[in-house]
Amino acid sequence: MGVFENKFQDNVVVASLDKLMGWARSTSPWFFQFGLACCAIEMMATAASRHDLMRIGMIPRSSPRQADVMIVAGTVTLKMALRVKKLYEQMANPKYVISMGSCATSGGPYWQHGYHVLKGVDLVVPVDVYVPGCPPRPEALIEGLLKLQEKIQSERPLTRKTA
Amino acid sequence: MTDNLEQLIKEAVEKALEGDIDVINNIEDRVTRSKAKAALVKAKREAIKEKNEASPDENSNDSSDSKKDKTTNEHIAELLIQQFPDDINKELSSNKHIQIQPKNWLVISKYLRDDPACLFDSLQCITGVDLGEESDLEVRYNLHSMTHRHAVEIRISCPRKKAKVPSVESIWRIGDWFERETYDMYGIEFEGHRDLKRILLPEDWEGWPLRKDYEVQETYHGIIVPKVKEGWE
Amino acid sequence: MGIVKGDQMVLNIGPQHPSTHGVLRLKVVTDGEIVSDIEPIIGYLHRCFEKHCENSTYEQVIPFTDRCDYIASMNNNFGYVVAMEKLMEIKVPDRVEYIRIIMAELNRIASHLLALGVYGLDVGAFTPFLYMFRDRERILDIFELTCGARLLYNYMWVGGVSHDLPVGFVETVYGFLDYFEPKLKEYNEILTYNKIFIERTADVGVLPPEVAISYGVSGPNLRGSGVKWDLRKDEPYSIYERFDFDVPIGEGTVGTTGDCWDRFYVRMLEMTESAKILRQALKDLPQDGDVHQAIPKKIRPPKGSIYQRTESPRGDLAYYIISDGSPQPYRLKMRSPAFTALSVLNEISRGWMLSDVIAILGSLDIVLGEIDR
Repeated sequence: MGVFENKFQDNVVVASLDKLMGWARSTSPWFFQFGLACCAIEMMATAASRHDLMRIGMIPRSSPRQADVMIVAGTVTLKMALRVKKLYEQMANPKYVISMGSCATSGGPYWQHGYHVLKGVDLVVPVDVYVPGCPPRPEALIEGLLKLQEKIQSERPLTRKTA
Repeated sequence: MTDNLEQLIKEAVEKALEGDIDVINNIEDRVTRSKAKAALVKAKREAIKEKNEASPDENSNDSSDSKKDKTTNEHIAELLIQQFPDDINKELSSNKHIQIQPKNWLVISKYLRDDPACLFDSLQCITGVDLGEESDLEVRYNLHSMTHRHAVEIRISCPRKKAKVPSVESIWRIGDWFERETYDMYGIEFEGHRDLKRILLPEDWEGWPLRKDYEVQETYHGIIVPKVKEGWE
Repeated sequence: MGIVKGDQMVLNIGPQHPSTHGVLRLKVVTDGEIVSDIEPIIGYLHRCFEKHCENSTYEQVIPFTDRCDYIASMNNNFGYVVAMEKLMEIKVPDRVEYIRIIMAELNRIASHLLALGVYGLDVGAFTPFLYMFRDRERILDIFELTCGARLLYNYMWVGGVSHDLPVGFVETVYGFLDYFEPKLKEYNEILTYNKIFIERTADVGVLPPEVAISYGVSGPNLRGSGVKWDLRKDEPYSIYERFDFDVPIGEGTVGTTGDCWDRFYVRMLEMTESAKILRQALKDLPQDGDVHQAIPKKIRPPKGSIYQRTESPRGDLAYYIISDGSPQPYRLKMRSPAFTALSVLNEISRGWMLSDVIAILGSLDIVLGEIDR
């Protein structure tokens, strides 16, 4: 993939290929099972019986190498921040990040006096979708994942980027 | 098939209750055996329950014991004053806690654990307290005895600059982690601790967060710590 | 257990690992497959709970207690409000007490369901996890009906609760109990007496009672070692003395007393007992009474301190609150049961295989949010 990425000029063939690739990528983004705090319990509930994430093609993986999406579920502390960055770097391209819950987004209830809390995971890794809530309901997480699928679909991986 | 098994278990339990435990031990299938054992335990428990209901006197005894607990602190304080007259600070102690000097704390704690009148076999909690920016630090120990079912609170204060308290890690094993936590938050050094280092915060963290005069560091490994996003507040 | 001296290897498990129940790091020294030393490294979820308490008013502390033990938030709220009411000498109405007991016991069942389901997952059984989550969702529905939240409720307030029970609540809980109690048998069939499960957990990680007490282990872990100690029974707080229930203890049914299976089974039995308490509480629930009546306008406890213990699903949960007469706590320390439970890991898993360490860790039922606070 890396060889062809952003190498072609925009034309009919490339545009169709882009569409095909976007569709293929979007339908089954495997997510990185990466629970940090409270939100991880809701993430588990989303993957378990009632909400059943697998019906939209999301399968939990335990290793960053096998995953496409990292769901940062919970408070990122400074001790953990460097590990989160390392885990993100271990994922293969293309990779996406969902920041789940207000803690991962901005520090949440811990933003004011949390001397050991990272004020938003976007300080260490780039984030694609923010899911608000403390903790977000499973439906909210599913909505976030569907939004991510939309985003992946609209990407044009082959087309050369014009500045 | 299942009816047979249940019948088998039932018979085995009845025989075991009469004293012949081998009947259960001789069941070959491990799963069936464990089920039989569980059934036996249940049957025994019910038997004990019936016995207890027959004699309600025991319960009333228990409640009168717990009323005595109000004076536990004073009672233990008297014992300690007899044993260690120099180490107990009588003026600062109250009916809720005992204030002692740090010097002989290890010996006193051993006494508290082993003396038949005390038998404090469980260290419930160690709380560090900062008494104010100009005054001392304090360590509070909550002890509990599973045998006598009584509890006591010990307080030891130490100066802010050279905060040192003897470690009780060898007396109660949980002291290890509790002391590390107190060290992490207040910088109180526990002398004699085998491995005193930070437990919650990273090892290269600066300062003691729960002291009242703590100021958070600006960056940690290049990440800005107290950052507040624009547009907030 | 004879350990062959050989080349030792240090293995790092976590902080990101599916079976560490969160962000826990284990530094394991192994000799081949045999574990010779474990150092748990915690603090990856240290969220400065105690610092926040010192900077918030007493009411504002309650949401933070929710987030400490996020699996049993009701019980955390309960511990805090019990301590505060004792410090301020508030008498709450009977209806509030009953509502609190109902919520706490429902949350205990939910917490144990999650713990047992995930434990099944740890030792390789995926189906019980789905079954238990299915039933846990029904409890969360009840909570949602009452206070609108699924996980972190902020439901119990000092002197009362945030919302009165909704219409049809009692019937819903009865319906749940009628559904749930037969399910316990199903869990036993699918997991407890499963041959593979017994092989993985019986005789593994035996925790002797005196070691458990010295390490301050409490709750189901202590009872699994055969010590009959339950604060609901031994130091009754709230109105627990009004209910008739048993305290199940480990008996070494399939192995040695205090092994992983015992700790697991004690939780299983506790769910039955909680259901028993629930039925009694629902029966006696007073019909009238204002749940906001005893809530003080201003929370300013008198100068002093209090150490109050309550029984959370994980054990003795205690709050040490120091008040200086202002609306903010001077110092608030939370004694978390999972913290002490994790500290015993090194002691009981030395000499076992690496895969057994996962079984032992799972059986201790730790919540990292409560350990790191």
